[in-house]
Amino acid sequence: MKARVATVVGSFLLTVGVWEGYKAVGNPDGTVVFGTRLLPRADDLAMPHVWTMVGRLFDPDVAGGPPVWRAVASAVLVTLGEVAVGFALGAVVGVLLAVAMQRLRVIERGLLPYVIVSQTVPLVALAPVIAGWGGALSIGPYPWQPWMSVAVVASYLAFFPIAVGVLRGLHSPTEIEVDLMRSYSASWWRTLLTLRFPAARPYLWTALKLAAAAAVVGAVVGEISTGTRGGVGRLLIEYSRSATSDPAKVYTAMFGVAALGLLVTALVAGGERLATPAVLRGDRS
Amino acid sequence: MSAPVVVSDVTKVFNTGRPDAVTALSQVDLTVAAGEFVSLIGPSGCGKSTLLRLVADLTAPTSGTVTVDGLPAPQARAEHRYGIAFQQAGLFGWRTVRRNVELPMQLRRMPSADRRARAEELLDLVGLADFAGHYPAQLSGGMQQRVAIARALAVQPPLLLMDEPFGALDEMTRERLQDELLRLCADTTVIFVTHSITEAVYLSDRVVVMSPRPGRITAEIPVSLGVRHEVTRQSDTFFEYVTKVRRALRGAPVADAP
Repeated sequence: MKARVATVVGSFLLTVGVWEGYKAVGNPDGTVVFGTRLLPRADDLAMPHVWTMVGRLFDPDVAGGPPVWRAVASAVLVTLGEVAVGFALGAVVGVLLAVAMQRLRVIERGLLPYVIVSQTVPLVALAPVIAGWGGALSIGPYPWQPWMSVAVVASYLAFFPIAVGVLRGLHSPTEIEVDLMRSYSASWWRTLLTLRFPAARPYLWTALKLAAAAAVVGAVVGEISTGTRGGVGRLLIEYSRSATSDPAKVYTAMFGVAALGLLVTALVAGGERLATPAVLRGDRS
Repeated sequence: MSAPVVVSDVTKVFNTGRPDAVTALSQVDLTVAAGEFVSLIGPSGCGKSTLLRLVADLTAPTSGTVTVDGLPAPQARAEHRYGIAFQQAGLFGWRTVRRNVELPMQLRRMPSADRRARAEELLDLVGLADFAGHYPAQLSGGMQQRVAIARALAVQPPLLLMDEPFGALDEMTRERLQDELLRLCADTTVIFVTHSITEAVYLSDRVVVMSPRPGRITAEIPVSLGVRHEVTRQSDTFFEYVTKVRRALRGAPVADAP
């Protein structure tokens, strides 16, 4: 535990050290070789001091208003909601796809290429399309909300690691374990519940962690490319408009995104710890 | 009462009709009587494991018939007429030892109090009562194999099929488990696949010798050593049987044996 705390603190200090170190020695105008900028500008406009950026969190957003961190925190909460819905949707779709692919080889062969291709479609192109489709929909009496489009974009990124990871997990039982279930003449469904799902659990948790991070990226990009208000992705765009006059401000929104990513992955890791008996931790089985 | 296992005129070809077709078994006949302990022995590729898998209905014969307890093999499997153990224990790592033993009973929808009691009784029999709450990863290979045997015996099957269950264990553990197995299966019919001659002789009422390409039965050697104990392993009769099986494996006529 002590070693882990030391690692976390150490890596944080190292990051700060590299940033400030480059600022101290780097060329304020950047290093240009044959017309190509190889190293970034090190001036206060491009790379504000760490303490300036952190200090900016506690200064008011607009003169006399609440400090910036309050605006960032409430935007992070809005995005967290979208991430949660997108993550849950992605998890359900991913697990269902994995089960379908495990059930029938034909489905695996036919579907897996599309699952992979789905991740090569640029999200910025896809997000407005989803928002457009959503606008024409309503769930019963409830009209489609812009945040729902963002959640769908998040789920679009989140389902992939889960589908691929869980599929591997479902295929992970050894031949002997499968034969054993056959010797009990257990049905496919019983085998799925008593053998394949439990065997897939470590794979599922790894996939969930990847999916959580992917959902954060999806939600932020989704907010930006659909122009949905209220979330931290949108805040990032708004703050970057004042980059010339207030360069530290945009970094406060980035801190928010980073904190959101850490929070979501920590939640999943905590879930794994709770769900796994101590002796099985860090073990395949 | 019909014999527990009747294999008649069974041929098994893998990859039928393809250039890489392999005849694993050719016209094999085998009958096992109730309570008999039969070992299948032979070099790799002689089809001994395939023959066991046919009896278990984990694979289907290309031609011929297999009956277990008077039923066609698929029906016998559906009715849980046999227990099975493999070279690897095949325990589920996420289940405790007790819940591993409970698995076949759970799949037969036995009430949980009953299966718990039965699992504890079985673990007591294999000397692992204190490890019921452990996970397989916390057990040695020999202990894991004991759990696998307890699991195979859980639903009191009339027939026990074992595919080199002690193959991965050291000699000491192996001999101890052999004695344990004989004690546990005194009334059970057993088909036991092995490539150890001494193991086959020590355990069996009959040793079935097989040869490869194509897999077939080349000799059947009845063994009568009476009740087995430590002295049996050093007795002259024991070594005579070992020699007999060894000669049969080399292809010499069995009648030449002393």
